[in-house]
Amino acid sequence: MKEFMLFIRSEEEPKQDFSPEQMQQHIEKVGSFIKKLSEEGKMKSAQPLEMEGRILSYKNGKIIDGPYNETKEVISGYYHLLAENLEEAIEITKGDPRFEEGIWRVEVRPIKKVEGIN
Amino acid sequence: MKNKSKHTKELTEHFFRNEYGKIVSVLTKYVGPDNVQTAEDIVQETLLKATDYWELNGIPKNPQAWLYTTAKNTALNILKREKHKNDYITETKKELENLENFQFSDEQILDEQLKMMFVCCHSSISENSQIALILKILCGFSITEIANSFFTSAETINKRLVRGRKQLRENRVSFELPNNINENLSIVLKTIYLLFNEGYNPSQKNELIRYDLCLEAIRLAEILINNPSIDEKSDCYALLALMYLNASRFEARMSKDGEIVEMENQNRAKWNKELITKGIQYLEQSKNNKISLYLILATISANHCIAKNFEETNWNEILSLYDSLILLEDSPITRLNRSVALAKVKGNKEAIKELLNLESNSDIGKHYLFQTTLAEFYSLENKTEKAGIRFKKALSLADNERDAEFIKKKLFEVVPI
Repeated sequence: MKEFMLFIRSEEEPKQDFSPEQMQQHIEKVGSFIKKLSEEGKMKSAQPLEMEGRILSYKNGKIIDGPYNETKEVISGYYHLLAENLEEAIEITKGDPRFEEGIWRVEVRPIKKVEGIN
Repeated sequence: MKNKSKHTKELTEHFFRNEYGKIVSVLTKYVGPDNVQTAEDIVQETLLKATDYWELNGIPKNPQAWLYTTAKNTALNILKREKHKNDYITETKKELENLENFQFSDEQILDEQLKMMFVCCHSSISENSQIALILKILCGFSITEIANSFFTSAETINKRLVRGRKQLRENRVSFELPNNINENLSIVLKTIYLLFNEGYNPSQKNELIRYDLCLEAIRLAEILINNPSIDEKSDCYALLALMYLNASRFEARMSKDGEIVEMENQNRAKWNKELITKGIQYLEQSKNNKISLYLILATISANHCIAKNFEETNWNEILSLYDSLILLEDSPITRLNRSVALAKVKGNKEAIKELLNLESNSDIGKHYLFQTTLAEFYSLENKTEKAGIRFKKALSLADNERDAEFIKKKLFEVVPI
């Protein structure tokens, strides 16, 4: 099986490249905004109620993988790519004209070839 | 020859999936949401024609145009037949003219897909059906593929689709953007995020990430932000930030042997900087206005993404963000996720206390992740016996092979025999 990585990229290139410091700054700014709202007690009222029950209740009340990926990744980190799809995607990317237009540009990067396996 | 044919088949399958939603959306404009099945049938027929024709003659220079033209002609034929039915004469004639004159432009296709998103997420349709409709109609997934993603049977998915389409007909849902677009937007976003998560998690059948689903989710969300009809885009930006930031870590999550790699051990050089940058840009654009689950989760994810390594991650900040998250939505799983940051900031004992408390107040103990998390904390505190008990419990709760394998490894580290 070939090991390739498929990357999604918006056709619009990043407006600017951030330096590590800038990234830090931007993220801290958002963090402060969030904390400010929390301290002002504005959390509950700000969020439409329908958001609350929905994600958890999906799949009939079972605890599911909603927007709660952090623990999984930190503890068991089991997100990984579908190899067959990747191979498929590589073959596709070679000749697929779709990626020349529309919102998407797909970038395929080889990781490593595994010898002796088709 | 055989290889070429196989290559063609794979190429066309993937290509078709992407084009399916676009063409169905455009055709639904002309046949109406109560006839969305007709639109789907037309596209199915078109794709079958393409498969036969392209297999024989090779892929045309402009495959998209070929598909669209064929679909358009098939639709025109059907509408012409409808013309003879009394009820539809005037309307159908007008639609016929419109369709005949229709030029498939990128912009138009985006517009129609946007409308389709809102149609599929109409409030009269149940949540399960909404997401099934989006996957089927907009993303072109087969019923089997959808069933696999949702741990259920093809029959169940089919029922949801049938019910969804029925609700479209009964409620006479029209093919246009709703008036109260911002209310409906939250449903669409939630559906997109559920879609992303389904792609993000391995299914019960021990498959790897359905990367396609994640790509589709991002694609749909970007259609939203690029459309001028939507005024309030903060939540869209926040959701996109979250998806891009999470997606940036894909490559590092699997070892060359196909094994799970915990974040602690991931090679961060493999984290995609472009995706991280894009994620942070979206994060930037989303602040100031509204708070949402997505915004907080995205910020947490961002903090992980810019950390040099696991130990040097800004755990204080992450803990504080989780505290804010709890104000917004206090749930056992949020607290479970928070416990990891808690351990880093206040120590393992504190985290253990929190989890034991959580266990007695909820049924989170039924989730294997709870057990592995607690086991890890015990292990770090050298409480190997307690760790072993919890890992064994986790093992009994794991519902797929890959998770089970991973837990077993952890268990053997603690209990070598």
